[in-house]
Amino acid sequence: MSDAVDDTDMTDTVTDPGTDDSFDDAAADRDGSESELPPHRAAPRSGRLDSENRQGTPYTESQVIMPTVKVIAPFAFTFGLFITFHGGGSPGGGFQGGAIMAAVVFMIAFAFGIESTRDWLANTVVVALAVGGALAFAGIGLVPVALGGAFLQYDLLPIPILDPVKYGMEGVEIVGIAPIVSGVLMGLFFLLARGFNSEGDGFGNGSLDEDGSIDEDGSIDETGTLEGDAADAGGDR
Amino acid sequence: MTGALALATGSLTPASPVVAQVTAVEASLLAFVVLTALATALARDVLAAVIVFGAYSLGMAALYTFYRAPDVALTEAAISAGVTTVLLLLTLAKTTRIDHDSVFESVNLPAASAAGFLFAGLLLTMGDIPAIGSPDAPVWSNPDVTQWYLTETYAQTHVENTVMAVLAAFRGFDTFGEAIVVFAGGIAALIVLHREVFA
Repeated sequence: MSDAVDDTDMTDTVTDPGTDDSFDDAAADRDGSESELPPHRAAPRSGRLDSENRQGTPYTESQVIMPTVKVIAPFAFTFGLFITFHGGGSPGGGFQGGAIMAAVVFMIAFAFGIESTRDWLANTVVVALAVGGALAFAGIGLVPVALGGAFLQYDLLPIPILDPVKYGMEGVEIVGIAPIVSGVLMGLFFLLARGFNSEGDGFGNGSLDEDGSIDEDGSIDETGTLEGDAADAGGDR
Repeated sequence: MTGALALATGSLTPASPVVAQVTAVEASLLAFVVLTALATALARDVLAAVIVFGAYSLGMAALYTFYRAPDVALTEAAISAGVTTVLLLLTLAKTTRIDHDSVFESVNLPAASAAGFLFAGLLLTMGDIPAIGSPDAPVWSNPDVTQWYLTETYAQTHVENTVMAVLAAFRGFDTFGEAIVVFAGGIAALIVLHREVFA
């Protein structure tokens, strides 16, 4: 029943603007093109890049994109793992595989919203990927140095049974390069989605703010306790 | 320069008929890449330029696959067509988008003539470049570099992918530096955007 009602509503709303559009076009022609924007164009916004109220990126739930991403994401992630793990025998490697796995996260974020993906994928995961990858690469390189060899001299790696050269290289690709690339790319994505921090809750504790904005500093500082607490709560995530 | 003269006069040697070697797939891919590159440069709307640039990168990835460089093709598809397009779109979502009446930018004559002269100069050197896939090309037939890596990769590193062997084993220290550069890029983004956390 509700579908039928919706359908009639749809047809009504479809047929009605057919007559309204001519009026709107005429009005727009008379007033100049500022009054009515076509629906596929974004509404005009203020040019300030640092205002916090427009930091959120536009998101619309799509019944086409969400199921598609649900189906594709496991396969794309498996493809990234395959590219990473089979770098020794087929084209690819840690860099390409890590980029593909990060692109899967981008895909999920575009389908289900960047903010909910940010909550789902905690900051610890992103940082652990990037830092852990760098430490693992350096560790694999430094173990032969500790055993009296050169940096990244794979044949000195203490890997039992398996071939140390082959699996040392695979280890560098899998636990070194791929986590660094995927973690840093995910971090860049979430950073760009959140944008520039003009509140000064990063480092420096607002010294940049005092230099930058002149007039509104006093009001911000008077109410600064609430904003500071909110920013700290966000920062602990 | 004899090759350039041969190209200019249209008298190609029968041993290397360059035009005859271009297949339909290759020609269409090249045309696609050139057209999308021109559209990227000339598009008035930035969003359109970003989308067409993603299509250009996808065409380049297909072209690399066609020329049997699958490692480069994977990197181009993942980084350039995927990640870069997404990051550019995110940046566009945070800026103001201006509504344009015209689809294409008006051509800046000095810039176009400079690009044309560069194109003509590069075209003059085309005759001296060996044919694609030629076994006599110096970059391939060099016994000290390419052939050495191809013959020694499996003997020394026990993996089949020479590209990965060069990156991870023979030039492992360089790759370590590159990975740290990627890591430092993430840290630099944190600093520039005044953030303490990634997500």
